[in-house]
Amino acid sequence: MADINWALIAPLIAIQVILLIVALIDLVRIHATNGPKWVWTIVIILGNIIGPIIYFIFGRKTS
Amino acid sequence: MKTFTVLLQKEFRESWRSFKFLWMPLLFIFLGISDPLINYYMEDILNAVGNLPDGVAVTLPEFAPIDILKASTGQFQSIGLIVFVITAAGMINRERQSGTATLIYVRPISFIALFMSKWTVASLLGIISTIVGYAGSMYYTSILYGSVSTMAFIQMVMSYCVWILFATSVAIMFSAMFKSALATTFTIITLPIATMIGSLIGKYWSISPWKLADYSVQLIAETENIYYLKTLLLTIILTVLAIIIGILFTRKNSGTTKI
Repeated sequence: MADINWALIAPLIAIQVILLIVALIDLVRIHATNGPKWVWTIVIILGNIIGPIIYFIFGRKTS
Repeated sequence: MKTFTVLLQKEFRESWRSFKFLWMPLLFIFLGISDPLINYYMEDILNAVGNLPDGVAVTLPEFAPIDILKASTGQFQSIGLIVFVITAAGMINRERQSGTATLIYVRPISFIALFMSKWTVASLLGIISTIVGYAGSMYYTSILYGSVSTMAFIQMVMSYCVWILFATSVAIMFSAMFKSALATTFTIITLPIATMIGSLIGKYWSISPWKLADYSVQLIAETENIYYLKTLLLTIILTVLAIIIGILFTRKNSGTTKI
């Protein structure tokens, strides 16, 4: 593990963190979601990169 | 023209509120840079989690830049495309079903402007995502594996954008034709699944829009491909056709709006 160049990996981690934070902020601010909010919290946090994406596609209720 | 500008502004505001222009490009960057990185660290990954017995020697192939770009295109064509077309396939019918469209349809608007405003936003989203995704992939590829000709790379990205425009038009056409669940299903069958089937058994026909992405990557190798121009032309014709059908159905189905 020591010879891994972290400068290369950093953007991947940064993308994940940005998506996670934006999805959580949106989840807090949104009026209602499809399904209970606490489930989406778990999906976003544990879902790696796919979690926030799935939330953005299926979770947001627009009305 | 004025209606179009107003509708376009509305679409942009909506995409901005749902963060589409943030997460879609980020997803494509992620897909683009994950392949160069995973292939580069494959040996370390296998040593760490591969559970290989002692004495097994794994010889990994040497990757050329074009192989990596091909792998990234494969990612865009599967995960990226599915996510993108699901988003696009809900653009018109969701408004009809939620009743938002009532406020728009009671006014004397042109359905061309309505359709084109949605098409413009979705296309722009797809093109931006493609460009940043490929830029990320190329950046890592050039650091880790070596560079390719700049002109060929630009050609490849533009050619892939034509495919994305086709995908957008088909998705929004279905969105105008059917209700949301049906539209999503049809879109996924005609775009990502058809692409997969095409890559499995597609060697019998050479001119089809579903091959455009493969041909785009082959531009990097700068070999002559006699089918490329015909495929490109066919894709553009089908794109225009999908837009026209979509506009017609937007008009026809405007009566099904929930009030």
